[in-house]
Amino acid sequence: MSRLTGTPFPYRGGGGGEKMTGPERAGEAEENSESVGMLPMEHLHLEHVLQTVCVLESVVLRSFGPEGGQVLFTRDTGQAMLSRSGTRILTALRLEHPLARMVVECVLKHSTVTGDGSKTFILLLASLLRMIQKTACKEPNVSHTYNSRETAEASTARHLADKMLAFALEELDDIIAMGVVPYGCCLSWEDFTAKTQLPTCPINHCVQKLLASFFHSRLGRTHCDFISNLTCEMLTHWKFKSDLPSSLLQFVNDNFSALHTPVSGFPISCSRLIEGQVIHRDFATPCPQADHQPVKAVVVTGCLQPKLLSAGEVLVLGSGEQGREENSRKESSIVQFTAWAERSLECVIAKLQSLGVSVLLSAVKQSAAVLALAAQADMCIVECVSEDELSLFAQLSGATPVSDCWMIEPEHVAALTFCRPILLGAHRYVHVAFHDSEERITVKPCSLVICGPGEGQTDQYACAFQDAIRMLLSTWEPIDITATTASKKTLQPNKSTCLHVDNQIVKASPFQQCVLEPGCVIPAGGTFEFLLNHALLQHGSSCSISDDTIMGAPAVSQLFANALLSVPRNIYFYSLRRFLQTQTRLLSFIQNHSHPFSHVYKQEHNTIVVQGRGKSECPLEEGKLINHCCGETDVSSQVFMSDSGLESVSCKYQLLVAVLQCVSSLLHVDTVLHTHTALHTPSRRLADISWEGTEDEAED
Amino acid sequence: MSRLVKKSPSLCTDLPLDNTGICNSLHLLRQLLRSCIGPTGRLKQVHNNIGGHVITTSTSSVLLPAISSSQPFINLIKTSILNHVSRFSDCGLFAAILCLSLIEQAKQSGLRGNVATSVNKHLLGLCTSYLQQQDCGCKVKLDFCSSQSLITLARSIISSKPACVLTEREALHISKLAVQAFLLTVPCNSPGIVSLGKIVTVSVEGHSVLNSAVFPGLLVDMPDVFCLNKVENLHSNPMRMVLFSASLAGDLSDLGGIIEVHPGVDTDSQILDQLLKLGQQVVKDEVKLFICQKVIHPVLQQYLRSHGIMVIERLGITLMEPLTQLTGSQPVATLHTTIPAKAYGKVRDLSIKQFGSKTMLHLQPPGDSAICTMILCHRNETMLSELKVVCQKTEHVLRLTLREPSALLGGGCTETHLAAYVRHKSMDKVTETVSVLGCSQTEYLRGVEGFCRSLESLAAALEHDGGNSLMDLTHAHHWSHPADVMEERMEDSSGFCGCGLVESSTNQKWTYLNTKYPQFSPAPLFRVPTVQPRVLDSFTAKLNALQVAVETANLALDVRYVIQDMN
Repeated sequence: MSRLTGTPFPYRGGGGGEKMTGPERAGEAEENSESVGMLPMEHLHLEHVLQTVCVLESVVLRSFGPEGGQVLFTRDTGQAMLSRSGTRILTALRLEHPLARMVVECVLKHSTVTGDGSKTFILLLASLLRMIQKTACKEPNVSHTYNSRETAEASTARHLADKMLAFALEELDDIIAMGVVPYGCCLSWEDFTAKTQLPTCPINHCVQKLLASFFHSRLGRTHCDFISNLTCEMLTHWKFKSDLPSSLLQFVNDNFSALHTPVSGFPISCSRLIEGQVIHRDFATPCPQADHQPVKAVVVTGCLQPKLLSAGEVLVLGSGEQGREENSRKESSIVQFTAWAERSLECVIAKLQSLGVSVLLSAVKQSAAVLALAAQADMCIVECVSEDELSLFAQLSGATPVSDCWMIEPEHVAALTFCRPILLGAHRYVHVAFHDSEERITVKPCSLVICGPGEGQTDQYACAFQDAIRMLLSTWEPIDITATTASKKTLQPNKSTCLHVDNQIVKASPFQQCVLEPGCVIPAGGTFEFLLNHALLQHGSSCSISDDTIMGAPAVSQLFANALLSVPRNIYFYSLRRFLQTQTRLLSFIQNHSHPFSHVYKQEHNTIVVQGRGKSECPLEEGKLINHCCGETDVSSQVFMSDSGLESVSCKYQLLVAVLQCVSSLLHVDTVLHTHTALHTPSRRLADISWEGTEDEAED
Repeated sequence: MSRLVKKSPSLCTDLPLDNTGICNSLHLLRQLLRSCIGPTGRLKQVHNNIGGHVITTSTSSVLLPAISSSQPFINLIKTSILNHVSRFSDCGLFAAILCLSLIEQAKQSGLRGNVATSVNKHLLGLCTSYLQQQDCGCKVKLDFCSSQSLITLARSIISSKPACVLTEREALHISKLAVQAFLLTVPCNSPGIVSLGKIVTVSVEGHSVLNSAVFPGLLVDMPDVFCLNKVENLHSNPMRMVLFSASLAGDLSDLGGIIEVHPGVDTDSQILDQLLKLGQQVVKDEVKLFICQKVIHPVLQQYLRSHGIMVIERLGITLMEPLTQLTGSQPVATLHTTIPAKAYGKVRDLSIKQFGSKTMLHLQPPGDSAICTMILCHRNETMLSELKVVCQKTEHVLRLTLREPSALLGGGCTETHLAAYVRHKSMDKVTETVSVLGCSQTEYLRGVEGFCRSLESLAAALEHDGGNSLMDLTHAHHWSHPADVMEERMEDSSGFCGCGLVESSTNQKWTYLNTKYPQFSPAPLFRVPTVQPRVLDSFTAKLNALQVAVETANLALDVRYVIQDMN
């Protein structure tokens, strides 16, 4: 076991067991520590931050990109889990160092929104920090008077980070819209519709490719096609007649726990869709044999057997002569009460029978008497159904749940085509299917059965599945960002240089418009990074008028551009030649189809959007992915496009902004105070309370 | 705050499969499991450090949970295999050994992880599609017209568990019983969806295995032998019975609030009166058998017995469902309402059966019923518990044949045949395959070699006494020879191959397993109806085991980093 020390961490290679503790507090940091009162202090330098992030990077790199693999981890329960999900890996590390925790927090926040990009997040973060450190060390901010070189470096780095963030918030969307989006294409929701009409024709190619490359990065190459087909199929089944894609995706995301059933012990290829809904409970009574249709079902949320007494009431059993007291009842025989309870239960069952109900779904456990009477009335009961499943059932069947069975009305009765037991793995569940109704003619409710050799794997597949839905959701979400217009830019070329650190909120311009089309995708495999790199460099050279300091806009965008290349470099880590080939091919492609966006800025912009829309109405074909921006495609580009998957531009954009925010907040921390929850000093109790919060996280 | 325990950081291992410690423990596990497989497998004794009783076993479902390891790799493989076993009951050792040797072969071949996984997956596809073909050379159709092949299948499973310590004759007896019990659970004439019945197993220690028996209907424990003399009177027509699922002990039911009882009010006697009213109704309705899942008040019991009703209490939840199916009754849980006529069930015959110290009441179904009871006897507890596990597995495997009425040739013949097929088939369209898989031709060939060797090593694993494992070069079946037979005299000594379908002849050629041989297409057998395979394996279980093993091996090969939570 070697502890990680201050030496540069090997990015690939190495091996053996290491105790993961984040960067050491020992070494230089310890020497510099002074004590302020009773708190041990740790001054953070740029290299400490970098070190922390590099350690995280080295872990994440093992599962990054098409050649990456799984990470095996054990839970504290001893269960072995597999994952390629960046968030899973990072949380499993149980990091101690506050800085590392802060980074993990940022990653978690980002990926709960987009469901994707956690590994790229760390990679970009590390790359950006390296670039910043390099620049800061070369030219520390000497114009100010600092008492040491380190402080000077830190301040330069901080300024750089802020500049970059400001730049990203202000101009990045424009640059992406100009330099990247034209080479991508728009997913259209009609792709899905076409699929329903022609089930044999693989028209929703784009969505499928997008999903395939997502699953490739999350589950590995062997299963990505299978799972992405399954996802597409499921979404097709769930497609609402006229709704927007985002509402469907939101629906699937919200109800995912009720919509899938993990089954362990089978190979993944046994995963499938089944019609209707699976309720993850077994029948409490002998299951129905009746074949008649429709099966009528009622959802109850309370106990069928009435409670004689509510919680505070007291039943007094006296000899009979005393009168009734307040809040208590008096009778001589207990038997009368139990008999009353049973009789009223019989009435409820009779009422249900008169409505033709044969299935009861109950949110709570029912008494033995209820089960016995229901069985005698040929009704079957499913107890303790979870709230999520009941609400999904209510949505799909259109029947409202009842809490009091005396109030039951025909609108509470749902009609099902069948209700039968289904054996999935070790468990027997209840399988229901719904009658078609007018409002959902195109919807075929279906549930997903996820198979895997072990529980850890089914879990992994389910997580990936849900994250894929989130990713699609954020792909489709239009980004409401304000775009600065070209005219504004020419008027204020040096605006970014005078932008202050705190001024992170972008001014709303009167020309608000959504630049990134919802559903915009770009070929995977580093295309986004190469294109953006190119666009950023161009942008840098175009606006370098008077400003050539390291804080200037060109320098910032160049720095950013270089940092971006770390992503494709790691995708092609196994061969530098492949990396260069891909880059050259793309660059030559851009030059051959030189895009006039730098000359006729505004007009071109509009045409792109229009063309994008026009494109989305007709089904896209593989070879034509990029032809709406350049008119014709050459053969080489077709080859390039066809062998890679797709990724979402808006996810990438959100990722970049999130990373830059993280960088800037990381660099703003200069000291870590290690507080002790002083259980032994009761006099400082008040102070303790205020410090408790900071014990787990770095002060920001 | 004092309850907050600081979480310790996790232990990380980079590139775990390059770590010798991990490789050694995987190798050790493989050796351990390899020594257990087959009818001549070596037994393992499992005992814990606090003096619990010792288990002797060679079954994967008992052995694997006993292996605890801090190594997450072992746990990963273990859970996969145990999940397979819990679904299919058979071929657990097969899957575990195949998985481990695939990992080992992939390490030895030095292939990149991604290449090894995609080659394995491709070859798995070849295997599964071949096994599902009609003309697959190692598959036999099960014939439900005769019980012969079912008994062969059952006996292969039972005899592959040497910890049961059965003689040939005993093994055959148990196999026949298992098939008989299985056939009893298949309902004869129910249209529509068929639901299988249930086998209730009762184990009796200290008797000869040959005393084991199967009875249609249910056998229920009779702890007190009070009214046994009355049983003789009950050999009449189908008699009425009633089944209660609520407690009849006279306790107060929960009314929700607090009950305050004034002196002079005797709730107990009020409730008992109510119970006796219930008794009166039962007597009036001419019920002859009164069964309760829970406790019956002694006064009520006495009342019922005095009216010539046989009383059984504390039946337990497990027997409730078979009993309702057997008698057609519906459990009653209401004490105040009159019992509806449809809640009563019927029993045809009652008799007392004595097994060692156990006295049991035999309830026979009034009509056709898919419930039966299997009495298992063995000389001591350890063997008995293993026998019980084996019988349950056999039942499960026999049930699987209803879905897919096929079996695979046993005795290692399927493995060698499949290996020969894969070697031959993988040579078709090599260039296309290689480009699809994204690897070079040599890498592909190395992957194929590793896969086939893993399969062959399973056939070889059946031999534990130092004998040689061979494969013939026409049908690719598996042959084993005792160690002392010289190679030249091989032709004379060997009788039949592992599964018993191929007889040795002078013009056959053999090769030792795990040696190089020219690839050939294994010839299908001309089936002579008189020659029946002597060893059969479950088709469904083996197919799934193959898939799970390859998938788990692929997952393991894909692992680049291990993070162990140390909390």
